[in-house]
Formats: sequence, structure tokens, C-alpha cells
Amino acid sequence: MTELMESIGKECTPLKHEFDACFTRWYSERFLHGDKTNDCEKIFKAYQACLKNVLREKGLTKMISDARPSIGSVFTDNNENIDDK
Amino acid sequence: MVRFFQQKHSYDYSWNTVSYAFLNRYPNPFATHVLTADTIEHRIDPSTGELHITRLLRKTNSVPRWARGIMRENDAYILEDVVVDPKGSTLVSKTRNITHTRLLKVEEKQTLTMDPFDGSRTQCKNETCIVSSIGYGLNSRIENFSLSRFSENIARSRKGMLYVLDLAQRRGLFRQRFRMEQHRLESQ
Repeated sequence: MTELMESIGKECTPLKHEFDACFTRWYSERFLHGDKTNDCEKIFKAYQACLKNVLREKGLTKMISDARPSIGSVFTDNNENIDDK
Repeated sequence: MVRFFQQKHSYDYSWNTVSYAFLNRYPNPFATHVLTADTIEHRIDPSTGELHITRLLRKTNSVPRWARGIMRENDAYILEDVVVDPKGSTLVSKTRNITHTRLLKVEEKQTLTMDPFDGSRTQCKNETCIVSSIGYGLNSRIENFSLSRFSENIARSRKGMLYVLDLAQRRGLFRQRFRMEQHRLESQ
């Protein structure tokens, strides 16, 4: 990518970029080939620690934890009234 | 009121490449409305070997003119839940808006699977569910507005994916690994 995606918290963007680079490499070089070793745990923890504060400040923590269990729950194997577009 | 829509197409790339591109699809020139993207969880389920990723996306919120009185023009937050099954060559992404939900809930599900007849191709199924619960006779108007955007959004996200796929291929992200595997197969 010519540019990189920003984090919701500007102060977390450098950690996010470091994690994304680690994750991308890990995904293509290890995970897709059956290797489950997690290379990115350390940087992920640092990134999450930063993110946690930002989400709390923006009042998103509860919204996220409320929404998470039900995401996609509307989709069953045989939905009725499906419009093919 | 609840409405479902679905659409299918395929990519002329292997599932490995498409799943990689999907996870790296932002930023791209066809998704300038996506402002930030953060991973808030990533873990491997030890019992299934599946990778679970949760992401929070912040998007600009373009509100139709007639709805501006009831909806402030501020950013919208979307939560995305992705499950990658490398053994079954399947990626399932589910998203939902977590803001403005009083007006409208839009859930989307995208399933990427390896074409069972041609491993160099990937099938993509998009499903969208729109739920609105606000009164004042706005329901059908809101749903039709969202519906007209459905095909448009899918076409745009497909363009974005093709952009990222092309970039990934040109950079040869998989070339080395493929060469190694080819070598391994040949020497067997």
C-alpha cells in the first residue's frame, strides 16, 4: 500500500502499523501454511494497551462489548425473503 | 422491518491470495470513506485451528438530505468479526454498525471460499440484512435508500479488492512460497 491505515487513536498509530506489518507477514508466511506460532503477541499487547484508553475515552468500550456477541446472528442457513440482486 | 439481499461473484485468484488481500483491503482508493481500522482481538481457536479477528472501523457517514434532521452527520463505527479456516479454505466476515443503530442496523456477511472445481479461483458471497425500527413512516424510505446502495457498495468493494489483489500479485508476496512448494512437489 502506498499509505497505511490510521488507528482510531493517533497516539496508537505507530503501534498499529508495527502490529499490522507483523500480522501480514505472519499470515502469509506461517498461518496459511499450517504454522500456528503467534509471532505478534508482544506487539499486539502493547497496541491493545494503547487502544484500550482511546476506546474508553470515546465511550466505545460498552458499545463494542454489547454488540459483539450478536454480530451476524441475523444470518441463518436458510433466510427467507432473500432478494438476489 | 427486516430485509435480506444477496449477491455472488468470483475472483480469478487463489483463496490464499484473496484472503490475504481481504485482511489487507484498507486503505484503497475505492474505500476513502473508511478513516481508521483497528484490530481489537486476534486469536487462534486451539480446538479448530481457526483464526478469529475482531476489527473496529471508523467511516464517514453520508446521510441522505431528508434524514439530516433526525441524524447528526458524524462518523459511524462498524464492528467486523472475521473467522479464517485455513484447512477448509474459507473466510467469513460479518459486520454491523454499532452507532446510529436506533435508526438502522445493517449487517453484512461476506463468505470467501476456494472454488471446489478450480483452485485458482475464489467464490465470494455477499449477504446484507437491513433492519430499521424508527417510526414516522420513514422505514421504507430508509430501507430503499440502503437497498439502492447495496449493489453500488458491493461493486465498489470489489474494485477495492481487485486493486489490492493486483498490488499483492505485483509485489510477489506469494511468489517465493509458491516456488518453494512447487519445488517440494517436484522433488517428491
